[in-house]
Amino acid sequence: MLSGPVLLVEDDPSDFRLIQRAFNKLPNGFEILRLTNGDDAVAYLSGDDPYENRAAHPMPSLVLLDLKLPRRSGFEVLQWLRRQPAGLCRMPVVVLTSSRHTADINRAYDLGANSYLVKPETGGQLDNLASEFRSYWLRLNEFPSFQAAL
Amino acid sequence: MADETFRTILIIEDESADAALLLRGFEKAQVLNPVVHLTNGDDALRYLAGKGEYSDRKKHPLPALMLLDLKLPGMTGIQLLQWMRVQGEIKRIPVVVLTSDENPDTINAAYDLGANSYLVKPGNAAEINRMVQTIQRYWMKLNEPPPLVMRAEQQ
Repeated sequence: MLSGPVLLVEDDPSDFRLIQRAFNKLPNGFEILRLTNGDDAVAYLSGDDPYENRAAHPMPSLVLLDLKLPRRSGFEVLQWLRRQPAGLCRMPVVVLTSSRHTADINRAYDLGANSYLVKPETGGQLDNLASEFRSYWLRLNEFPSFQAAL
Repeated sequence: MADETFRTILIIEDESADAALLLRGFEKAQVLNPVVHLTNGDDALRYLAGKGEYSDRKKHPLPALMLLDLKLPGMTGIQLLQWMRVQGEIKRIPVVVLTSDENPDTINAAYDLGANSYLVKPGNAAEINRMVQTIQRYWMKLNEPPPLVMRAEQQ
């Protein structure tokens, strides 16, 4: 059901390693691309320099987005994405953050997040998150097409 | 979270056979969450708006998840989604489209209007049961719902 990779926007190197390890444990895993800040995420999704070549930098099927990011925040990336022309604005975005603040949850949904996940505290819980994420989004969900944006 | 099992799931499905399979799936998966089933878009709108027979939010709490068929008598699923996304707090409620329509144009339109996810109805009961389990584990256990849901229940 998933045609492109998952784009993970996460600045914290240890969080990234833990998330990557949890996803890599799964059989029939999927490709994860990682960017470390909001500006790079916008450049990647726009296909701007240095990401013009879509063969080398494929359009993701889904974005896993941290909220607290250097330069442009996750909220700003989400807001930018939902204002893009037909196609790109449909990109499913799953927020993955350590924040459980009501204001952050509401703001993420208001800006059009498809789902909001809180980073678990233990490795076992993270393994479970990776497994459930894959079962739902990669096996069950139907993705929109982004052709209009390419 | 301890109160996750009190979060309501709202199913909007007019086909009685499809609804029966879905509700049986929730029973089989031993989902403790209250499941509310409505058969058309107009009732769903009144439920979400807390109008008429649904005005008591303690009895009719806002759902943490909505499973929405698109082909409905009266107001369609697409129209209901369109209405929801311009409301106040209601617009934050996660909506998973669950339909037999696999047309890419319909999928795109649903996402453009703010569907959180789009699922195609499986062909048999075993697959429906598996789907229900996956939905329950992802949306009711893993996903953090908008806080309005919990406030509604604590009133």
